[in-house]
Amino acid sequence: MNLKECYLQFGGDYESVLGRLRREQLVEKFMLKFLEDKSFAQFEAAMASGNYEEGLRAVHTLKGVCQNLSFTALYESSNQVTQAMKNHDYAKAMEMAPRLSEDYHRLIQAVEDYRRSGEE
Amino acid sequence: MELVQSKNAIMRFLKLSFVGVVIFSVFSFTCLGLYMNNKSHEAFHKIGNIYLSGTSEQISKHFESVIQLRFNQVEGLVSVVSSEEWEQEDLYQELAYRANVRGFAYLALCAPDGTMETLSGKPIQPLNPEPFTQALVDGERRVAIGADEDGKQVVLFGVDANYPMPQGGASTGLVAAVPLEYITEFLSLDGEDQMMALCIVRNDGTFVIENDNMCLGDDSQRLPELLSPYPGAQDLTYRMEDFDQALENNQTYGAVVSVGGEEEKLYSVPLSNSEWNLISIMPNNQINDVLDTLNVQRTRFTVLACLSVLTLMILIFARYFQMSNAQIKELEKSRQEASAASKAKSEFLANMSHDIRTPMNAIVGMTAIATAHLDDLEQVKNCLRKIALSSKQLLGLINDVLDMSKVESGKMTMTAENISLKELFDGIVSIMQPQINAKGQHFEVHVDKVRTENVVCDGVRLNQVLLNLLSNATKYTPEGGRIQLSLWEEVSPKGDNFAQTHIMVTDNGMGMSPEFQEKIFEAYSRADSARTQKIEGTGLGMTITKYIVDAMGGTIQLQSQLGKGSQFHLTFDFEKAPVTEVNMVLPPWNMLVVDDDAFLCESTIEVLKTFGIHAEWTLSGEKAIEMAVERHNRGADYQIVLLDWKLPGMNGIQTARKLREHLHEEVPILLISAYDWSEFEAEAREAGINGFISKPLFKSTLFYNLRKYVNKEEAQEESPQQGAEFTGRRILLAEDNELNWEVAKELLSDLGAALEWAEDGKYCLEKFEASPAGFYDLILMDLRMPRMTGYEATAAIRKSAHPDAQKIPIIAMSADAFPEDVQRCLESGMNGHIAKPVDPEALAKQVERYWK
Repeated sequence: MNLKECYLQFGGDYESVLGRLRREQLVEKFMLKFLEDKSFAQFEAAMASGNYEEGLRAVHTLKGVCQNLSFTALYESSNQVTQAMKNHDYAKAMEMAPRLSEDYHRLIQAVEDYRRSGEE
Repeated sequence: MELVQSKNAIMRFLKLSFVGVVIFSVFSFTCLGLYMNNKSHEAFHKIGNIYLSGTSEQISKHFESVIQLRFNQVEGLVSVVSSEEWEQEDLYQELAYRANVRGFAYLALCAPDGTMETLSGKPIQPLNPEPFTQALVDGERRVAIGADEDGKQVVLFGVDANYPMPQGGASTGLVAAVPLEYITEFLSLDGEDQMMALCIVRNDGTFVIENDNMCLGDDSQRLPELLSPYPGAQDLTYRMEDFDQALENNQTYGAVVSVGGEEEKLYSVPLSNSEWNLISIMPNNQINDVLDTLNVQRTRFTVLACLSVLTLMILIFARYFQMSNAQIKELEKSRQEASAASKAKSEFLANMSHDIRTPMNAIVGMTAIATAHLDDLEQVKNCLRKIALSSKQLLGLINDVLDMSKVESGKMTMTAENISLKELFDGIVSIMQPQINAKGQHFEVHVDKVRTENVVCDGVRLNQVLLNLLSNATKYTPEGGRIQLSLWEEVSPKGDNFAQTHIMVTDNGMGMSPEFQEKIFEAYSRADSARTQKIEGTGLGMTITKYIVDAMGGTIQLQSQLGKGSQFHLTFDFEKAPVTEVNMVLPPWNMLVVDDDAFLCESTIEVLKTFGIHAEWTLSGEKAIEMAVERHNRGADYQIVLLDWKLPGMNGIQTARKLREHLHEEVPILLISAYDWSEFEAEAREAGINGFISKPLFKSTLFYNLRKYVNKEEAQEESPQQGAEFTGRRILLAEDNELNWEVAKELLSDLGAALEWAEDGKYCLEKFEASPAGFYDLILMDLRMPRMTGYEATAAIRKSAHPDAQKIPIIAMSADAFPEDVQRCLESGMNGHIAKPVDPEALAKQVERYWK
């Protein structure tokens, strides 16, 4: 699995990110680095403890990362949750959270697969 | 039909009732007039009778009292002078003296045989002695008419008196007399302005005192015989026998008589102590005159009242008629409109279902074909392409219908945003190019005298309008036709803050009939003749277009001729958008502009002049080469050449190839074109063309494209010079996410900038405050960070005591790109805003202003 196929698998825009970062190695580096990003974990923890303000900040950061790395699918779901939280519509945010989680884990799964295929 | 019938019924009812009212009012007013005439006639006659009888009685009473007075005087004389006290001679003198004192001009003694012994004045004699003497003998008082010896008429008053007569014997009465004038004057019998005339007759009908005013004619005849009944008299008819009898019996009598043909009233009253009767005659015509005048006046007023009532009625009827007529017409009109509208809607639905079914059929059919040929990749691809095309078409249709429902419910609203006409036109040209190219049509874009490129309007809607007009132009223009889009600006009548923008879309297609032009902006209409049947569309586009133009406060004018083409002219008064002034000045180059459109050449030259560039233009490639060679020989080469791609004869690329033979290699040749140059880019580059400028040529388009060649070393490459700008810059980046920080660092370090990381707003503030003056060139600020947000950090930095607190540019870098977020950034003291993902070019543009 090459980098482009990986992006395709989790619904990202490879052309766009390469256009900006110019080097494939950079894209790969940042993508792998995303595995260590805490934003999503922070979001889940904040929502579980009912700290909506912190939750909003976390999901907003996640959204920013997605924009930078052109994780289009995850950007979409994180953006929707961000909007709902911004409007203090927490019920809607909770409703959309499973999709966000699904997209996130699909991405993580794809990136993990990619890393493993590289190590092999 | 029912409407017409009911209208006729109403009309008939109105007419009948009108005639009925007219007849009724004329009839009732006539009756009223006649009845009043009659009644007033009667009343007047009654009043006349009462007046006449009353006046006559009055006069007779008066007459009697005057006569009585005289009798009393004579009797007083008799009682005062007694025959015993005086000698005969003295007695006569005494009587004559006392009579004179009492105003009697005559005095005489009357013997029983009727002889008169005159005591004073001239001898007198009654005209009719027998009844007079007889009355005295009977011891009664008597008044009578007599005459003196000269024939002068006198009134005699005789009373019983016993005095010795000179010839012996005793007298039977004393007779005193006054001239006749005494009575006539007293009774005013001959007064000329008197309404009634008076006279006195005896019981046998002969005249005692006549009256010339009566005009009776022969006064020797008896009065009853002189009178005759008046033919038209309604009551009190005169009869001679009745009158004679009344005179004989001393009774009153009243009748209507005819005197000399005139209608007169007669009234007779007997006078006491005489055989006299007072006769009064009053001309009836005097009453009648008054009555007639009254009648005429009343009749006139009655007629007038009748007429005015009728006039009023006519006016009311006419107005009512008018109003009901108008109402009926209105009703009829709205009914027709409603039915026309519903007809148009059902036609529209029929068309729509056809229009929807066609792409739907294609989608369904192609899906079936694709399913059947799943293993044939080419076939499936082909099917998908067609499905995509049909879906797009269907989506367009549905969008139109949705827009239309918004228009009809009045819910389509316009937003006011700052837009760039240049970007709008660039976008439109690039969208339209594939369509226009596919039909092999010539597309020209003219931009002239546009000083205001940034205006406030609803860009999406304006885009929609222009795309609709242009796609119509493409649709209804045959292959190889010509389509032109023009834009120019005029001074707006709304003031300096506004710019009047004119946009014109012209084609030389099939055009429209005058009938269709009238209803082109109506909903659900389409040029439905056979020639347009193959062209899909809802017929809503123009209605929506018109609505949008109206909502923007603009106008749309249409000129079209069947077979010749159409022209839509839009005019808007747009508010000018605030724009940061860029000083558009370029070196004083010598330039050559080559285009087959003289208009474009001239307007381009005008714009170039404002940059300080001297430019020449020509219409063909051949001429351009000639001019370039001539210049080259003079040693004053053109420094930049703008070349149109489509030229008559030799095209742009061929021309460029020839020009390159004569021009220095460093002289940029730029191709201007409204077409997508990707197809011929390689060929053009090979021919020596350095770059491309896309039409329309706005001022800013020209400026930013030409500016690249200010420094000739960089002219060859189109690559951005931003790398140079970031070199050696120190940037402080506040970002709580490590990954985001690394991405930004990677991007900006590549461009030569040195980055430092602040993990949140608080660190950022601390780092900035700890830095020496001028250390950082820029702060990039994430907005949502723990401990201190970007807004707070910015506000704190601006308030800090650091020497760069006000100067340092702070640019927000956030995932939020909503206008309200941008607004908030500016309010908190930031200089600008870029959205993630971080784009070095956008960032360079933002900071350019602060790094001069």
